[in-house]
Amino acid sequence: MTVELTRSRSATTIARPLRTAGSVLASLTILVVLWWLVTDGIGLVGADMFASPGSVADRLAELVTTPFAGETLTGHVSASLQRWVLGLAAAVLLGVPLGMLMAEQADVDAAVTPVFEALRFIPPLAWVPLAILWLGASVTAQALVVFVAAFPPCLLNAHRAVRGIDPVLRRAARTLGAGRWREVVWVAVPTGLPTVLAGVAIAMTNGWMALIGAELVGARSGLGFMILRGQSNAAPDIIVAAMVVIGIIGAAMTALMGLATRRVLRWQHTDTHRET
Amino acid sequence: MTKTASHRSAAPPERGGQAPDEPRRAGRARRRVVATASVLVLAAAWYLATEVFAMVTPLVLPSPVDVVTAGVSVATEPYSGSTLAGHVWASLQTVLGGWLLAIVIGVPLGSAMGSSKIVDTLAGPVFNVLRPIPPIAWIPLAIVWFGIGQGARFFVVFLAAAIPCVINAREGVRQVDPVLLRAARTLGAGTLTTVRRVALPSAAPLTFTGIRLSLGNAWMTLVGAELVAASAGLGFLLLDARRSLQPDLLFAAMLVIGLLGALFGAGMRWLEPRLVPWEAGHRDR
Repeated sequence: MTVELTRSRSATTIARPLRTAGSVLASLTILVVLWWLVTDGIGLVGADMFASPGSVADRLAELVTTPFAGETLTGHVSASLQRWVLGLAAAVLLGVPLGMLMAEQADVDAAVTPVFEALRFIPPLAWVPLAILWLGASVTAQALVVFVAAFPPCLLNAHRAVRGIDPVLRRAARTLGAGRWREVVWVAVPTGLPTVLAGVAIAMTNGWMALIGAELVGARSGLGFMILRGQSNAAPDIIVAAMVVIGIIGAAMTALMGLATRRVLRWQHTDTHRET
Repeated sequence: MTKTASHRSAAPPERGGQAPDEPRRAGRARRRVVATASVLVLAAAWYLATEVFAMVTPLVLPSPVDVVTAGVSVATEPYSGSTLAGHVWASLQTVLGGWLLAIVIGVPLGSAMGSSKIVDTLAGPVFNVLRPIPPIAWIPLAIVWFGIGQGARFFVVFLAAAIPCVINAREGVRQVDPVLLRAARTLGAGTLTTVRRVALPSAAPLTFTGIRLSLGNAWMTLVGAELVAASAGLGFLLLDARRSLQPDLLFAAMLVIGLLGALFGAGMRWLEPRLVPWEAGHRDR
C-alpha cells in the first residue's frame, strides 16, 4: 500500500513538470506560427504597425550588445529587476510580520485595518505621480510603486495564515509543554507557510506589473521605459521585443516561485494552497 | 462567519470566566474604539504636521485643508479642459466601455473554452502565452495602432478586464458537476434545458466573481493608461497635477480615484448576492 502510494506520487511529480513544459512549448510554437503568418507570412499587418518574429529576434540579439535609450537590453533588465527586488523585499519584510501581528493582537488589527482598507482602493499606478514628486524619477520612486502593489497580498495572506491555524493544534502544543517560541516554529510556521508563500507569489506578479506601468510614466531606464521609447521612435520591433522580455521574466517568476514553493512545502501531500 | 467571529474573540474569553457572549461584545466595542482612535490620531497628526506646525513643506505633503480646497475648486472650476465631473466622466466611459466589451467577449470565450476541448486547445495556448505580459505594457503598441486617443485606452482596459472574465468563465463551466448534467439528461432534459437549468446556474457564481475582479483590473489599468496617453480623465489629472507641482490637487485626485474604486467594489458586492443568490459562500478566484 505505502509502496504503491509513493510510486504513484513520484510518477506524477515527474510527469507534471514534463507535461507543463510540453504544453508551454506547444503553445509557444502555435503562437509564433500565428504571429509569423499575420506579419511575414501573408502580410496582414505592415512593419510600421507590428513586428514579425524574425525582426524581433534580430532586434533582441542586437539589443544585447548595442545600447538603446542609454542602456543595452541587459542594462534595462537589471534596472527593472533591481527596482522590483527592492520594492518586493520591503513589502515582504513589512507586510508579513505586520499581517501576523494583526492576526495575533486584536488592538493592532483594529488600528491598522481602517487605514489599510482605505488606502487599498487607490490603484498602485495612481501612486506613480506622487512617488515621482517625492523621490524624483529614481530607483526608489519605482520601488515605492512596486511596494504599494506587493504589500497588500503579503499582509492579507500572512493575516489569513495565522488566523487559519487550528486552535486545537496550538492548545495541543501548549499542553505538550511547548513554549511560545516552539509553538511558532512547530505549529504556526508549518501550517501557515503555504498561505504566506501564495501571498508572496501574488505580490511578485502584482509588483512586476506595477513596475512596468511605473516605468512607462517616469523612468530613464528599464523595460517599461524601453517600450515607451520604442513607441516614440516608431519602432514596433523594439516595443514587441521588450514586451517579449517582460512576458518571459513574468512567466519565469511564476514558474520559479511555484518550484520553490513545492520544494519548501515538500512535507505536504496536497498541491498548493492558493487562496487569494 | 461564525468561525471568524469566534477567532476574533479567541483571546479574551479564555481568560475571563464570564458568559460567552459578554466578552465578545466587549471585544467588538473595544475594536470600534481603537479603530476610530487610530483614524483620528492619524488625521490629527496630518493636520498638525502640515497646517499647524508646518513640519513638512506643502510640496511633499499638503495639509488636509488644502487637499479639500483643491478638491472643491476642481469640482467647481474647470481644470485643464473640464471640471472634476468631466474628468470622472471621461474615465468612467473608458472603464465601463472596456469592461462591458470584456464581458461580452470574455465570458462566451471562457465558457466555450470550458465546455469544448477543441476551443480550449485552440485558444488556450495564445491566452496562456500572452497572460504574463501586463496589460499596461500594451499601451505603446496600442498607441501605434490607434493613435493617442480613446481607442488605445479602451484597448488596454479591455485586455486587463478580459483576463479574469475568460479564466473564471472557463473554470466555472469546468466545475459543473457531470453527474448533474447526466442526471438532467436521464430525466429527459434537452440540451437547451440542461444548459439553462443546470450548467448556467452552477457556472454563474464563479463567472460573476470573474466579472467583479475584472472591473477592479479595468480601473487599475485605466489609471495607468491615462497617465501615458490621455488629455482628460483622472489619471491625466494626476499627471498634470504633478507637472504643475500641485500636490494638493494630486492628493485630491488620488482620493477621488480611491473613492470610485471603493464604490465599484461595494456596488459589485451588493450586486453579487442579488444576481447569484443561490451561491451561499462567495469565493474568489
